[in-house]
Amino acid sequence: MARRTLLGVLPSAVLWGVVFGLFVASSALSYAGIYKTQADRDSLAAAFGANVSTSALFGPAPQLQTVAGFTVFKIWLTVALIGGIWGLMASTKLLRGDEDSGRWELLLSGATTREQATFQVLLGLLGGTVALWIATAALAVATGRSPEFNVAVRPALYLALSLATTAFMFMGVGAFTSQLGAARRQAAAYGGWILGISYALRMVADSGTGLHWLIWTSPLGWVEMLQPLTSPKPISLLPIFGFTCLLGYLSVVLAGRRDVGASLIQERSRSGPRLLLLSGHMGLAVRMLRPVIASWGTAVAAVGVLLGYIAYAAGETLSKSSMQTIYARLGASGAGIKAFLGVSFLMLAVMLSFVAVGQLTAVRAEEADQRLDQFLARPVTRIGWLAGRLAIAVSFLAALGILSGVMAWLGVAIESSAVSLPTLLAAGLNIAAPAVCILGISTLVFGFLPRATAIVGYGLVSWSLLVEFVGGIGALNHWIFDTSLFHQMNAAPAIGPNITSDSWMAAIGVAAALAGCILFARRDIQGG
Amino acid sequence: MTEAAIRTEGLSKFYGSVRALNDLSMEVTAGEVFGFLGPNGAGKTTTIRLLLGLIRPSAGKAEIFGLDSCSEPVEAHRRLSYVPAEAGLWPSLTGEETLHLLGKVNGHVDEVYRDQLVKRFELDSSRKIRAYSRGNRQKVILIAALMSRPDLMIFDEPTSGLDPLMEHEFRNCVSEARQRGQTVFLSSHILSEVEALCDRVAILRNGRLVEIGTLEEMRHLSALKMEITFAKDIPDLSAVPGVATLQSAGRTVSLQLTGPVKPLLEALAASEITELVSREPSLEELFLSLYGEGQLPKASGAHA
Ligand SMILES: Nc1ncnc2c1ncn2[C@@H]1O[C@H](COP(=O)(O)OP(=O)(O)OP(=O)(O)O)[C@@H](O)[C@H]1O
Ligand SMILES: [Mg+2]
Repeated sequence: MARRTLLGVLPSAVLWGVVFGLFVASSALSYAGIYKTQADRDSLAAAFGANVSTSALFGPAPQLQTVAGFTVFKIWLTVALIGGIWGLMASTKLLRGDEDSGRWELLLSGATTREQATFQVLLGLLGGTVALWIATAALAVATGRSPEFNVAVRPALYLALSLATTAFMFMGVGAFTSQLGAARRQAAAYGGWILGISYALRMVADSGTGLHWLIWTSPLGWVEMLQPLTSPKPISLLPIFGFTCLLGYLSVVLAGRRDVGASLIQERSRSGPRLLLLSGHMGLAVRMLRPVIASWGTAVAAVGVLLGYIAYAAGETLSKSSMQTIYARLGASGAGIKAFLGVSFLMLAVMLSFVAVGQLTAVRAEEADQRLDQFLARPVTRIGWLAGRLAIAVSFLAALGILSGVMAWLGVAIESSAVSLPTLLAAGLNIAAPAVCILGISTLVFGFLPRATAIVGYGLVSWSLLVEFVGGIGALNHWIFDTSLFHQMNAAPAIGPNITSDSWMAAIGVAAALAGCILFARRDIQGG
Repeated sequence: MTEAAIRTEGLSKFYGSVRALNDLSMEVTAGEVFGFLGPNGAGKTTTIRLLLGLIRPSAGKAEIFGLDSCSEPVEAHRRLSYVPAEAGLWPSLTGEETLHLLGKVNGHVDEVYRDQLVKRFELDSSRKIRAYSRGNRQKVILIAALMSRPDLMIFDEPTSGLDPLMEHEFRNCVSEARQRGQTVFLSSHILSEVEALCDRVAILRNGRLVEIGTLEEMRHLSALKMEITFAKDIPDLSAVPGVATLQSAGRTVSLQLTGPVKPLLEALAASEITELVSREPSLEELFLSLYGEGQLPKASGAHA
């Protein structure tokens, strides 16, 4: 089982390991390009280094005037959050997901006990983190040899280790919550809370309010204190390993104590009827979407406010740097705060596109799980059902667009009044255009090849994203560059939204959605 | 004058080279309880999904109360309800919330009857679907189908997962429905259930209709089992028309008889008989013979 688990995590472990390594390489190498003179570097350090709000949000920034200090500051939190989520997802999937789907019972009917099986899975997961570490380390060591970065092998290995620790810890957390929750989704949600709380704790600790000791209570705080390259403190590897081993041990013990499929925290399985929204298929869809709406709404709001907030400082440094040409190729021409916001809204556009595809995969899941039969065997038309879901999805996308505009404006307003609310609202609605286009195309695919909905939808977003960024570096033929939906969208607010191309994208989306509805009405309903 | 609740004409469904349903033509009269039988993979679920318009026929057509399943599904669905073999429900809703939702979608619900059904099936409707056992989930969709008292109820293996007491309750509900004049289309593997409830039965095999009629009619088609004990010598009965599978043990002969009884009686007239037992085949024996004999025609049919 250890080998089975290892094979299960290996692809994503290596992938993320490489991505983390690329993060190191790209931010190390771009620093040298952006901040050429010592004066640039000193002004950056002055802007962020002693800034309490920055250190609360992103962690302390001790040596921004060096490549190493800047790189660690820039990537550690992103890597920690991605790694933590990946660790949670991987361990809850392989421990709890397989149990929920009944695969465990097959394995357990062999000779293994539950304790042994859980232990084996944990070993496999450990192998996955080691693979992630090796992949990141290889790239970090290679980058370290470049003259700009100039980091020896041992510190590079330590840097990679510190980047892998969150994934490691949250695999332990996932294993533990897999024993507590009633289903995988719930186990992942408990883990997500732990990640969120540990972020909040370290934020309070770094906010200069005399509560710095709180950093010792937060798993993310321990990672923050590793401080690779700048002033390494390997001592905080102790709580990291201790915590993870304890969680692993508890998981094995608890796994042996409970029944297969059972949970230690009893879900509230009984409740009085809450009939809100239960008046038809659309009401139900809205009710089922509430958690999705809440989480994406929070994510878009948080990203919007953060990017708005750092836009002022970032825009200042941007106007002096060579990044400006890259931004210009991405469509965010001009200088300063607006150019930075233009690229920021590009990131939000990607988020919205993922939301759009997610809506259609939920629609397909409803069909595959045969819940749709319950409606279609009653007086509900197919087109009415699908059109209702699309209407909800479009409203959701528009609301997210508006929310991102408002939140970015709030973020900007903390430091300056350089960009007006209407400008940012227009930028927010602008990013809904490619998302609507992708929603329509996914609907078309759902209409004739339902099983391919997710693959084609996510594939289209990934392709657009890839082309956009490779194109941004300037290495692409413009025909290929044009296939990216994000390239068709103007990078507002750097320049005004291109109403014509936005309308075209929306029109293509609507036409594709219509065709999808008609095809759906004519095809067979296909179970999973 | 009696209206057809279900009518199919040359109804067929092919999946590539798999003929899931081949040229089915039949009629279910309004007010009858109709059994639909066949071995696994015979095409029962396929037929039902075609009737509901969930899948499109490769050829032929299906009508519910004269309404085409493909072109007027909504009108047809106002008059029917459907219980699938495996229900997809929303795990986060409680039983009560699910019934409320499905009732709203239906448009009309007999609420008194619904509450009565919840009691009769002993459903704890305050629990979440996620926390229900399979049988309890099945109860939820059964109640959802019964509570609107539609003109036609289509059941696909409705009692799979129900305990014997609940299955008995289900039979009561179907009997009541018949008394109220509702039509029931029941696909099931539980032959005793079909035997107890159904007026007419159709048997499907390999996507083809092999038998349709009342149970009485079907019994006449199949062999009568007889055991005859003779006082003295056993006469030679092998030449008598309709007699098959002769077996003798001592003075007792067991045989199967198809067709008229008269030739056998004539052949027996000369002998002295101490005991004669004749038994009609149970539905189960009928089906074992019908399902089983499929092997030969299928093999030869493949070459045709
Ligand atoms: N979507 C599909 N694609 C390909 N073949 C299918 C599909 N659905 C059904 N079939 C085939 O059609 C045939 C009839 O299936 P159907 O589900 O109607 O059988 P059934 O009589 O309901 O059997 P059971 O008693 O097991 O429920 C089977 O051979 C099955 O494999
Ligand atoms: Mg079936």
